[in-house]
Amino acid sequence: METKVTKHFSGPLMKQNIRSNIVLILAITLVMLLMTNVMNYAMSIVGVGTSSEDITEYQTEFYTYLGAMAQYDELSGAELSYSDFVESDDKTAYETAFTMLNAEGDLSLSVDGFQASIDGLSQSSVSIDTYVQEFEYNYVLMQSEGYFTGDDLTIQGMMDVMFESMGIDSEMIDTMMSMDPSVMMNQMYYTVVGLLPMFLLLVFLANSLVVDQVDKGSMAYVLSTPTKRSAVAKTQMLFMIFVPLIIIAIVCVSKIISTQIFYDTVDVASLLALYVGMYILAEAVASICYLGSCIFNRSRSSMAFGGGLSVWFFLASLLGMFGSDMMVDMGMGVEEIGYFNNLTLVGLYDIDSLSTVGSGSVDYAFVWKLLILVGVAIVCYAVGAVRFKKRDLPL
Amino acid sequence: MSDTIIKTEGLTKDYGYGRGIFDINLEIKKGEVFGYVGTNGSGKTTTIRSMMGFIKPDGGQSSILGLDSWKKAPEIMKDVSYIPGEIAFPSLPTGTAFLKSQAEYLGVTDYTYMNHIIEMLQLDPTANLKRMSKGMKQKTAIVAALMGEKDILVLDEPTTGLDPLMRDSFLELIREEKAKGHTVFMSSHIFEEIEEVCDRVAMIKDGKIVDVANLYDLRHSKTKDYTITFNSSDEAAKFASNTQFSPTLEKDTCRVEFPTSDINEFLAILKGYSICSLHENKITLEDYFIKMYEKGAK
Repeated sequence: METKVTKHFSGPLMKQNIRSNIVLILAITLVMLLMTNVMNYAMSIVGVGTSSEDITEYQTEFYTYLGAMAQYDELSGAELSYSDFVESDDKTAYETAFTMLNAEGDLSLSVDGFQASIDGLSQSSVSIDTYVQEFEYNYVLMQSEGYFTGDDLTIQGMMDVMFESMGIDSEMIDTMMSMDPSVMMNQMYYTVVGLLPMFLLLVFLANSLVVDQVDKGSMAYVLSTPTKRSAVAKTQMLFMIFVPLIIIAIVCVSKIISTQIFYDTVDVASLLALYVGMYILAEAVASICYLGSCIFNRSRSSMAFGGGLSVWFFLASLLGMFGSDMMVDMGMGVEEIGYFNNLTLVGLYDIDSLSTVGSGSVDYAFVWKLLILVGVAIVCYAVGAVRFKKRDLPL
Repeated sequence: MSDTIIKTEGLTKDYGYGRGIFDINLEIKKGEVFGYVGTNGSGKTTTIRSMMGFIKPDGGQSSILGLDSWKKAPEIMKDVSYIPGEIAFPSLPTGTAFLKSQAEYLGVTDYTYMNHIIEMLQLDPTANLKRMSKGMKQKTAIVAALMGEKDILVLDEPTTGLDPLMRDSFLELIREEKAKGHTVFMSSHIFEEIEEVCDRVAMIKDGKIVDVANLYDLRHSKTKDYTITFNSSDEAAKFASNTQFSPTLEKDTCRVEFPTSDINEFLAILKGYSICSLHENKITLEDYFIKMYEKGAK
């Protein structure tokens, strides 16, 4: 019987890997899927609560109509109003008013246009009555001026003065008004919570693939067959490369689908870019865990090395998030703490620039950062494999 | 082609603090069953790991079939089966799953020999691999190693955990292997089993080979040792004073030691005395080992 030496890839070993780790891999995939889609759903709800630009346009238009109607009422003594417009079936009074106003000023008002602006504005979660009331204040204030200063009065000015008298910085109010909670959740998803299950999986997998089998001694059953050590190293490396790839691909597809469902629109290019980045980051961490697994004889030492570094990357990234501009603006962070972002590999996963992929102006800052991660992965995998080949194994 | 199968020359692996193995020279011939005995921690496993190419020697070298153990391990494994000293299996569900996966590594497709071993050892491989008793695990490991039907077997304490009956079955398997002309290198600290199946035995103490003994010589010793009990102490005294065998006298018993060639003469002399019993004191491997060990300790 002429047996051949297995040089590069060991099928039985790969089968064994799959059989002994499949439950964990499935569990982690499920956790990631659940988390991704629940967070996506939550973000879609938060996203609806804040008015988007489209509505601002409708709002301006709506105010133009209200303003025009108010002027017309003053001049002609008519009683045109938003509530009257909605309630009455007969729109002729409005038609005449609009034609007159169009002739007077250089305007293009029409009943249909007014209706369109109302329809547009009703998409907002704020009721139209509120807009009407805001217009009232605006309109009245516009017609008067400051008693002492003679300056123009605006609602914005009034509010700033009110907050200032209460000791609140008006700038902070601005940033809070303009803040989009979905951006924060996005960052949290990609750089913190989304990574945790992946890191856990990688630490565990890397440990069970090499050092655990050496420590326990079961690797003897592989190496006492005509299987080269480099075949073992390469097979386990392939496993570490493909498992995160498959999981992240599944998660990515589900995210694209759920985004399509929750938002009715999806930016596939930027999502793909974000997940490719996440995969490269995962591989960098995987390679470090693999290196630890190949260097050490004791399962515990390897766990301390790979697990310790992964936990550090995770915690530093969590702390670093509190130093991001957004958190600092919100008053929940301190700029100095952002230094932690430089102490973690996760800091090289630049989600801000990655999410610009597919838009008109792509920020290529992510490229060199991802290249560093790729470099880390290549070096760690190579060093680990070489060390495993040349090392004493207590089998 | 020389018929040396396993050879170590000055094999050294120093773990410091006097631990490790030092200058091990062994030569195992084709078809031999070679025993390797020593106390716990004397370096048996280290020697075997070096032979298998799992560890790199600090000095000297080990080779199997003329191939360097460290550099050519995968080549060597085509002809070598191994039972590790510490039994730990990969995380697979059952013994059957493990044996199947092992057959895949070895490229074994014909299960008749495997089933033969399973039968001989009365193993139930369908049991949960993790829940197996020590003996069951050992049997599984034996099946996994032997099913490849390789020419060379390297066994690190293969009988640990086996009950006496199973040990006999195992030794029977080893004899079968020998009958096929296969070479066996087995370590053990149980002298009886080594004595039973081995042709030669090496003794290791504190990482150094103390002695390599030929068990044929031990079984067919050059000197004979008898204890003779006479009917009376007078008879014993008479025998003691009238013989060239320089016996040690104690009441009515004499103990004599003489070269095997003198046995006829000895029996002829005994004819003249009235004897109660005659007992041959055989040297067991254990006696021999203890003797050598004490010598080595000096």
